[in-house]
Amino acid sequence: MSHRTEQVQTYEENDLLSAVTKTITQQKISRYADASGDHNRLHLDPAFASTTQFGGTIAHGMLILAYVSEMMTAFFDEAWLTDGRLKVRFRGAARPGDIVTASGRVVRVEGGKTTCEVECRNQAGDLLISGEAGVAIR
Amino acid sequence: MTASLADLPKGHEFAETRFKLTPEWVAEYVGAVEDEAIGALPGRTYPPLALAACSVRVLLEQAGLPEGAIHVGQELNFSLGSEIGAELVARTRIASRGDRQGWTLMGIDLNVATDSGEEIMSGRATITFPISGEAGG
Repeated sequence: MSHRTEQVQTYEENDLLSAVTKTITQQKISRYADASGDHNRLHLDPAFASTTQFGGTIAHGMLILAYVSEMMTAFFDEAWLTDGRLKVRFRGAARPGDIVTASGRVVRVEGGKTTCEVECRNQAGDLLISGEAGVAIR
Repeated sequence: MTASLADLPKGHEFAETRFKLTPEWVAEYVGAVEDEAIGALPGRTYPPLALAACSVRVLLEQAGLPEGAIHVGQELNFSLGSEIGAELVARTRIASRGDRQGWTLMGIDLNVATDSGEEIMSGRATITFPISGEAGG
């Protein structure tokens, strides 16, 4: 359970971050492609993507990772922006129609740093992203 | 036509690039990722991954992603203090590159600093692509 005082918020191991859930659509993937400038055909061209190992278009990893960032912002407020860090691996692909959930848990609080395990899974429970994200609480 | 990342060796440093996160682009990014948390914070701020995405965008203007490229890992450290609209400087280099079983694994270091030299983001993107890959999209 986190504790918010007037000036300082503290965190404890096993605190759960509020999950963020989004539905992936091709329109959202295309919108992210325009924003990011990444127009890789794997994300945008169903005919091309059907010939790849994925069998169809997939979302940009950084789009899915943005859901982790949203979760961290909601939990840590400005601390995530002013002194945040993350290290993740992309382990699976999100496809149009998938429902993706980002979740996290505080695993370490030491030396002024709070570290969380974070992950994203699809509706089938397949792991898409795993890793750690953390903030420094000054 | 831009070069492909596939053609660049380990140690390659991209030209230092100056850019701004404009309010319009930040709004486009926040809309694209549906970030409902960032708007609740005070001030004219932006999601840290917007900075990462914008610096990648700058990179892609210098070198295209190889066909079939897949993002396999991401590390980022950030200490955002700059306002939307501040002039920023991106420095990017290919930090690692290796071939294995028909695929290239490449680590790309990304650093963004303010105009006054204060680093606000550093990190590494790791991508993989088929060795025969050509510049895509």
